Amino acid sequence: MRKKNKTYLLYILPALLFIIIFVYVPIFQNFYFSLFNMNSYTDKWTFVGLSHYLNIVKDPIFYTALKNNTLYAVFSLIFQVGFGLFLAILLDSKFVGKKLKVLFRNIYFLPSLISITAVALMFYFIYNPNIGMLNGFLDMLGLGQWKTAWLANPNTAIYSVIAMSQWQYTGYIMVLLLVAIQKIPKDLYEAAEIDGASEIQKAFHITIPGVKGMLVATSIITVIGSFKLFTEVYVTTGGGPYNTTQVLGTYMYRSAFLFDEMGYGSAVAVIIFIITFTTSLLQIKLSNRNKG
Amino acid sequence: MNKKILVLLVLCLLVISSFLYAADEKVQIKFLHRWTQYMDYFEEIVKEFEEAHPNIDVEMQAISNDPFKEKIKIVLGTNEAPDVFFSWPGEFTNRFIRADKVLDITPYLEEDGWLETFIPSQIAPFIYEGKYYGTPFRLDGKVFFYNKVLFEKAGIEKVPGTFDELIEDCQKLEKIGVTPIAFGNIKPWAVSHYIGTLNQKMVTDETRYTDLDPAEGTWTDPGYVEALEKYVELIPYFNDFVNALTHDDARATFFNSNAAMMYLEIVEVPELEMYAGDELKENWGVFVFPDIPEGKGNQNYLTGYPEGFVVSGTTKHPEEAVEFLKFLTGKTAGKLEVEMLGWINGIKNVVGPEDNVPKGILETVDLVLNAEEMVNWLDSSLSAKVWDAYSVQLQMLTDGYSTPEKVMEAVQKAAAEVRKEFE
Repeated sequence: MRKKNKTYLLYILPALLFIIIFVYVPIFQNFYFSLFNMNSYTDKWTFVGLSHYLNIVKDPIFYTALKNNTLYAVFSLIFQVGFGLFLAILLDSKFVGKKLKVLFRNIYFLPSLISITAVALMFYFIYNPNIGMLNGFLDMLGLGQWKTAWLANPNTAIYSVIAMSQWQYTGYIMVLLLVAIQKIPKDLYEAAEIDGASEIQKAFHITIPGVKGMLVATSIITVIGSFKLFTEVYVTTGGGPYNTTQVLGTYMYRSAFLFDEMGYGSAVAVIIFIITFTTSLLQIKLSNRNKG
Repeated sequence: MNKKILVLLVLCLLVISSFLYAADEKVQIKFLHRWTQYMDYFEEIVKEFEEAHPNIDVEMQAISNDPFKEKIKIVLGTNEAPDVFFSWPGEFTNRFIRADKVLDITPYLEEDGWLETFIPSQIAPFIYEGKYYGTPFRLDGKVFFYNKVLFEKAGIEKVPGTFDELIEDCQKLEKIGVTPIAFGNIKPWAVSHYIGTLNQKMVTDETRYTDLDPAEGTWTDPGYVEALEKYVELIPYFNDFVNALTHDDARATFFNSNAAMMYLEIVEVPELEMYAGDELKENWGVFVFPDIPEGKGNQNYLTGYPEGFVVSGTTKHPEEAVEFLKFLTGKTAGKLEVEMLGWINGIKNVVGPEDNVPKGILETVDLVLNAEEMVNWLDSSLSAKVWDAYSVQLQMLTDGYSTPEKVMEAVQKAAAEVRKEFE
């Protein structure tokens, strides 16, 4: 018996080592780096303590980034989780025929399969002020006065990037919710129908409570995703115009790779880690409570 | 059993000896440049060099322009640093020199008259604190290209000689419904060419050189604000959405005769000859940035700097790397460079009348060779931080969200931070 208990350790050892070397060690190393002044092409390190953190807190661009990440999270919750839930309920309802269900599910899901860079490049062209589809469409509708350089106008840029992500991921979240809805026992609905419940009543009293666990999970996924954001912004605006679309990810990249301040970049990375880590803790706690 | 061991031993020996053999025979040189679109030319150069030097193997890599600026810093910090790599002379290279990442090639240049083969004004930019750190690969200069047909339509008889005349011509062009100047500034290196030129024309050399030194620069001279005021005068004559268009987007409108002028580099002549519409192809001309008589700077300088190659300061094969550099920026390669790419390198008389070189290239190159002095590109002559503050503010200024005074305040603040790093 005893021997058996120990052999399992041997089996998890490779994976454990792998995770320690490639995940945990870098996290602590990164925190250590954030205490130094250093760049990528010299060996000269100077210890600066927590001064990078103090400078970050004093930097207005940090707050722009934080604000943009939060905006991203709010919009993603409304559209991906909120609207995604609406679509899922609609696709599961009797209003949509069986064949159409499959068709729409695939159509909505498809964008999430395309690489982010490809989507970002595509939207870069859609938003182009001269040859872009969006301005062309506005012209067609006779709304020429609304035309603008979507990604270069500081009033529209961040919303244009956010809109792109909603287009890409609403379908993904919708499919996750649809799977959860399909797990709800059918007899609940039958019982409700016998009691004369309308579709809306069924949605609010059976479907939504039934997928609560998945709603929490998808909310957390989208919020964490919103704080880990990088590619979407890097490809479309690069943080511009005038830093108005910086997010924490691009802010970190800018410090580390454009300004040769690896230590400062590491400090930003630590902040991103703290934000996403607390969100994950929250997720674990909430989903545990849900089970109980 | 014994047989198996014997077989294994023989195999091991074979593998080890093949490694030794390879290490003994060939020296490998890593070569990094930034012209992903012109690989044909570089492959040809590498092939010819390897044929002439059978003991050297050149491993080539290319990264395109904007990513290159970021990636070069990372590779220089690794053990995999390229032995010969592209660089822009000025602060872009100087920071690597200070970190011992670039080899001082002065002894090689002085050895067998190699230095004398270069045009002095084109190798001079590679001097840092009295020593040579690189050789020029392509010479360059910034001038206004214009469409003669549109100028004639607008009733402009001669090209502008002063800044005020330029503005008048812009007004005439606007009257006939033509965009006077095409300009795309999504990547703000484009605006750096305007501001670099204007700064040079408005500020004395002494002040400018002090300010370009990251340890000394304060950027407090009122001339910088005046330079930006001149830039503001030009803004109404650019196309719409300047900050949303790439340089190439804007250039397409000039090439298709939808804009009358564009501030371009002479290295863009081959592209003009290839892609411009027929109307422009037959009717283009150039003029240097007009004088600003009230400016304190020399009005006969030309903005533009050669680009070149340097040898890594950590290379294990300096002799072979320098040998490759010599070939890459030498006369044979230079002749092929003109033929295949339409660019002129820094070697004296690289093309003669006997070579079949388009007139446009020779004429524009003459502007560079006849300039009293060349002025380095503003972006690559500044430290990354100062340029970031400058470029963000310049984009805001272009869109009307900032003022010349505010731009310079931001630059002064960034310069003060950079000065601290040198204390």
